Amino acid sequence: MFNLRDFGASIWERSDRKMRVLIALSAIAVAAMLPFLGGTFLNTPVADYGSVLVFPVAIFAIMALGLNIVIGKSGLLDLGYVAFFAIGAYTMGLLGTKTSLNTWEILPIGIAMAMFAGLILGVPALRLRGDYLAIITLGFGEIVRITALNLNAIGGANGIIGIPTPPTIFGLEYTFDNHRLYFWTFLIIILLTIWMIRRLSVRRGGRAWESIRQDEDAAELMGVPTFKYKIWAFVLGASVGGAAGVLYASKTLFISPDNFTLQVSILILACVIFGGMGNIWGVILGAVILGYLPDRIRFLSDARLLVFGIVLVLMMNLRPDGILPRKKREKALPAKDSK
Amino acid sequence: MLGEGLIFNLLKISLGRYPSSLPVPGGHDHERRVIMKNQRSISVVAAIALAAGTAVAIAPASNAAAKVVTIAYQGPLTGEEAQVGIDELNGVKYAVQLFNAKNKGKYQVKIVEVDDQGSGTEAAKVAPGTASNKKIIGLVGPAYSGATINSLPFYKQTGLPMVSPSATRVSITDPTQGLIGFPVFHRVVATDLVQGPALYKLATKGVSSPKVFVIDDQSPYGVGLVDYMKRGGAVLAGQDSVSDKTTDWTATISKVTAAGANVVIFTGYYAQAASLYRQLRDSGYKGVLAGGDGVLSPGILTLASASILEGVRLTAGTVPLTEISASLEADFKKKVGVASGTYAAESIDAANIFLSCIGKGVSTRPNMLKCVKAYKGKSITGTTIAFDKNGDVAGGPMNSFEIKGGAIKFTGAVK
Amino acid sequence: MLANFQDQFLSLTFGGLSLGFIYVLIALGYTMVYGVLRMINFANSEVFMYGTFATVVIIRDLFGFTQQSEPATGFRLFYILLICLAGSMFLSGVLSIFLELVAYRRLRNRGSNKLAPLISAIGMSIVLAEFMRILTDSRYVGSPRVMEKSSIATIFGANLRLDNVIVIVCGLVLYLVLQQFVKKTRLGKAIRAVSMNEDSAKLMGVNLNFVVSGTFLVGGLMTGAAGFFYTLKYENTSFSIGFELGIAAFTAAILGGIGNIKGAFYGGISLGLVETYASFFLGTQWKAVTVFLILVVVLYFRPNGVFGEAITQTRA
Repeated sequence: MFNLRDFGASIWERSDRKMRVLIALSAIAVAAMLPFLGGTFLNTPVADYGSVLVFPVAIFAIMALGLNIVIGKSGLLDLGYVAFFAIGAYTMGLLGTKTSLNTWEILPIGIAMAMFAGLILGVPALRLRGDYLAIITLGFGEIVRITALNLNAIGGANGIIGIPTPPTIFGLEYTFDNHRLYFWTFLIIILLTIWMIRRLSVRRGGRAWESIRQDEDAAELMGVPTFKYKIWAFVLGASVGGAAGVLYASKTLFISPDNFTLQVSILILACVIFGGMGNIWGVILGAVILGYLPDRIRFLSDARLLVFGIVLVLMMNLRPDGILPRKKREKALPAKDSK
Repeated sequence: MLGEGLIFNLLKISLGRYPSSLPVPGGHDHERRVIMKNQRSISVVAAIALAAGTAVAIAPASNAAAKVVTIAYQGPLTGEEAQVGIDELNGVKYAVQLFNAKNKGKYQVKIVEVDDQGSGTEAAKVAPGTASNKKIIGLVGPAYSGATINSLPFYKQTGLPMVSPSATRVSITDPTQGLIGFPVFHRVVATDLVQGPALYKLATKGVSSPKVFVIDDQSPYGVGLVDYMKRGGAVLAGQDSVSDKTTDWTATISKVTAAGANVVIFTGYYAQAASLYRQLRDSGYKGVLAGGDGVLSPGILTLASASILEGVRLTAGTVPLTEISASLEADFKKKVGVASGTYAAESIDAANIFLSCIGKGVSTRPNMLKCVKAYKGKSITGTTIAFDKNGDVAGGPMNSFEIKGGAIKFTGAVK
Repeated sequence: MLANFQDQFLSLTFGGLSLGFIYVLIALGYTMVYGVLRMINFANSEVFMYGTFATVVIIRDLFGFTQQSEPATGFRLFYILLICLAGSMFLSGVLSIFLELVAYRRLRNRGSNKLAPLISAIGMSIVLAEFMRILTDSRYVGSPRVMEKSSIATIFGANLRLDNVIVIVCGLVLYLVLQQFVKKTRLGKAIRAVSMNEDSAKLMGVNLNFVVSGTFLVGGLMTGAAGFFYTLKYENTSFSIGFELGIAAFTAAILGGIGNIKGAFYGGISLGLVETYASFFLGTQWKAVTVFLILVVVLYFRPNGVFGEAITQTRA
């Protein structure tokens, strides 16, 4: 069968440095042009194309990249990823409305908060494996949401209204409906995240994650401090989720616990696996498709989500490793007997 | 469409079947009902005619093709909350069908269905699209307050007039909280500020030494009602806050029993109310049961037996269609295909406001906004609708209802 | 508070136990599949939801009950309940087999990674829930009352209700039957064999596809029974109830040790009780938080759940 991933990789590997820069730049240019394609077949009925690109597409892409560190790189099943998103968003919401800090100043604080939460969750949870880890992380996501719902000090069920937009930079004004500017900002964040992940995965950490994913016991025997690297993956993933949360809150101006349900975690997980776990480009593609699709098929009205579900089932059956799977050599042995 | 396959419809018939024979009201107060009903029917006809008929008087007769005007409805149409949105959309459809039939050849009103799944996140996506669709000159909705707050910046910017049938959160029209809805937002539903204390008053009416236990469903609507109930001076013997997915009420019921409560108020929606009331009665609870306008839906009668619901007290700013007149409900069912639901009357009222303006020849957003602001007309229940400067319905009374013999009965304004 | 708790203790216990048994049966659905395939059958929650609807349709359309009709009694009641139970189990069982054929079989035969079936299951779960939503016009559907819910006995002031007793007794019976089935029958033995080692089981002549279908059937039957009990106890249902109960039952299965029948049993009952007691003490709004914190503590000391993972053994 034609393998898009290998096809892409072979072009990349055959090119020299100059060519690679060219490819990367043109890819970025194409992505940056996306907001201008609203008039074409890409247009979404009912929902505004420009805002769909910002949320869910761009935000999903950032979150999927973050979750990919946890699940794709090191093989830890995290069903509560929304918790870090929520923590980032609430940090932005609270500090943005109660203090005079602006979005860019809050961003590192939000990331730090999410990382801290990742650490707190990681220490007890990462002793567990597989589905036990999944349910604990799922529980953590629910705990964060319910706590936000029950604490009136942080808005309770009513959430937080009037979160400020980012301050003007270089004469560019972030008004709430300037979707293009938000999209480009988020694109830069996505590129930074990709850069960070690529840097990390070729180093010691990346190899350690890879070995943990393939066989945790073997890695441990070979002297890889698995627990340390698992925490590390978890915290890094959390940081990206936190960043996405801060940006989201600063775009949407109003957050409430309803925005951070378990369904979000599941959807992001679906993005990662649908696109191709472990492969950055696949993950982004997955996020773009699953973020965009429900709005593109709005003309189906009542049957919209039904069709979305059918697409998930069909695609997973036809391409179980995702649309753009990871490289062959990185594939683990079939995980049937990984008990 | 999927829903039109044979098997689909077979299943649909068997599953979606409601006791189409919602028990015929009978008993000793039958006569009073009939009289009241007749009065109501007249006012209904008047209200609808007012909305539809003005056009006949003003618009010049011409052979030109009908003028197409578009309004939108925004609310949850898919996903878990879909029921509230679909019920409301049906109300809007009903009003528009009547209007179009009345104004054949002059006006043709179309509805754009905007699905926000009742969530703020979705609303923030669809609102910009709706705002920039210049054909839409009025919006019925959004159904939920959270979705409203997320949508408002976009509608304010493009001056799209909104009339919500069910967004009850006080802060949207509260000048002390920034007046976030001004100037485009209006609502034909009473806010929690009015309803909270009224509900408490109604629930404790005639109860000597009331011990009140309130249960909210953790939704902003439910929490808000309890909040304003307390601010209105309610004395509570106990309180519980449960997830809006709760089906097992064992612990809550034990708390009610332990508190020795003789009045239980639930602030949430009717499906949960039905299961709470049933489990409370089954546990031997003998006191008063009460709820707000989220519970006031004919749907509750399909979810619990008449004997369990007997005596349940409800408040709402409006009246369900079945209670206005049986013929109205029958007509609704004939035209829309299903029974009317929660907020049906509000949705018809909200749509009628736009329709009456369209009937006066309004075809742009700024004119529509002016027209809505100046609107003064009869609601489908016969009360007067006019907005105050913040967008709230001015001075509407809070109505009370009681479920008797398996039917929801209007019992006058809460005094 | 404590005095109140003493007063209410038995009421809470009866309620919690019968809820617990509903969890047990759904958890068995998760656990059977997990025991054999090491896979979370995420769509099991929707199999349960269809089970609840089967009972509603039978009560309402086959027997013609309405909200206003008199509840059945005596032998007629027994026979109606039996048909409802059979109907729910049948529908859920068939649906469960169908689910495996559509969503998992191809993936399993290709030996795909562990997470592809999970997403496929999530997709199926969306499909099933949305399908039912369209069928029911997104409404809650009420089940008419088939049996009187008066108490059959009062113990220290707490009402022991017949519906709770039926749920508890039948749940226990079904659990015991399942245990015997897995221990004694041919299919049960094959299921255990595959669960221990798939390859050796195949070499020993076990027809893998057949066994997997059988496992899904058994899991579906148990889940369908839960659907029946749910409708009997709570008397209404909707397309959206699956998710919440599914997560709770899955938590129960994990608590006891997923893949282990005994684990699902004790996990479900403890979860039902803990939830109910915690709601009483700490406020219902903190229920889920309490449950998950307890789960964290339990898993911290026993990382494979209380009873471990093997399908019939007590300890792993």
